[in-house]
Amino acid sequence: MDAVTYPQKAVEVFLADSMVALRIPSDQPLAKEFKVSWTPTLVTLDWNGQEHHRTVGFLAAEELVPSLLLGSAKVYSDLELFDKAFGCLGKLFSAYPASDAAPEAIFVHGVCGYKSTHNPAPLKQAYEQLQKTYPQNEWTKRAYPYRLL
Amino acid sequence: MGAIAWETDMKAALDKAQAGQKPVLVDFFNPG
Repeated sequence: MDAVTYPQKAVEVFLADSMVALRIPSDQPLAKEFKVSWTPTLVTLDWNGQEHHRTVGFLAAEELVPSLLLGSAKVYSDLELFDKAFGCLGKLFSAYPASDAAPEAIFVHGVCGYKSTHNPAPLKQAYEQLQKTYPQNEWTKRAYPYRLL
Repeated sequence: MGAIAWETDMKAALDKAQAGQKPVLVDFFNPG
């Protein structure tokens, strides 16, 4: 990550604008507290220290930024700051539509839509979009029940 | 570590995140 991903300008700009970046060596007690067993482990927390998203293993810049946008969207969604969640997801869809984070982001977009309106239509729309775009993806399978809404 | 302004203390990072209402990325790395 140090040699390839973190020096990328897109990563530097994203982190400076949108997150607080914290580095913890994996031999420190905090790593045990977070049950870290391999590196790199990247965890997205809210400002209360609550975990919302995690990845293990190397990510190139074109996958790291969308993964962090997804993690940030999950933070904001869980805190019911839906405008901010939709903002993160919108950036992900526009700038990184082919990223590995995109299918889960569609799922989270549907969940945010439901949680913010109590209308099930966004869940069904998420399933339909996933089925059309990523028919074999695990998030399409997880959204399968929403086809009936 | 490039131009990224890494924090190294959890409390300092959470205080900064609270002030800016921003999520925190924690990179647990192998110190070698």
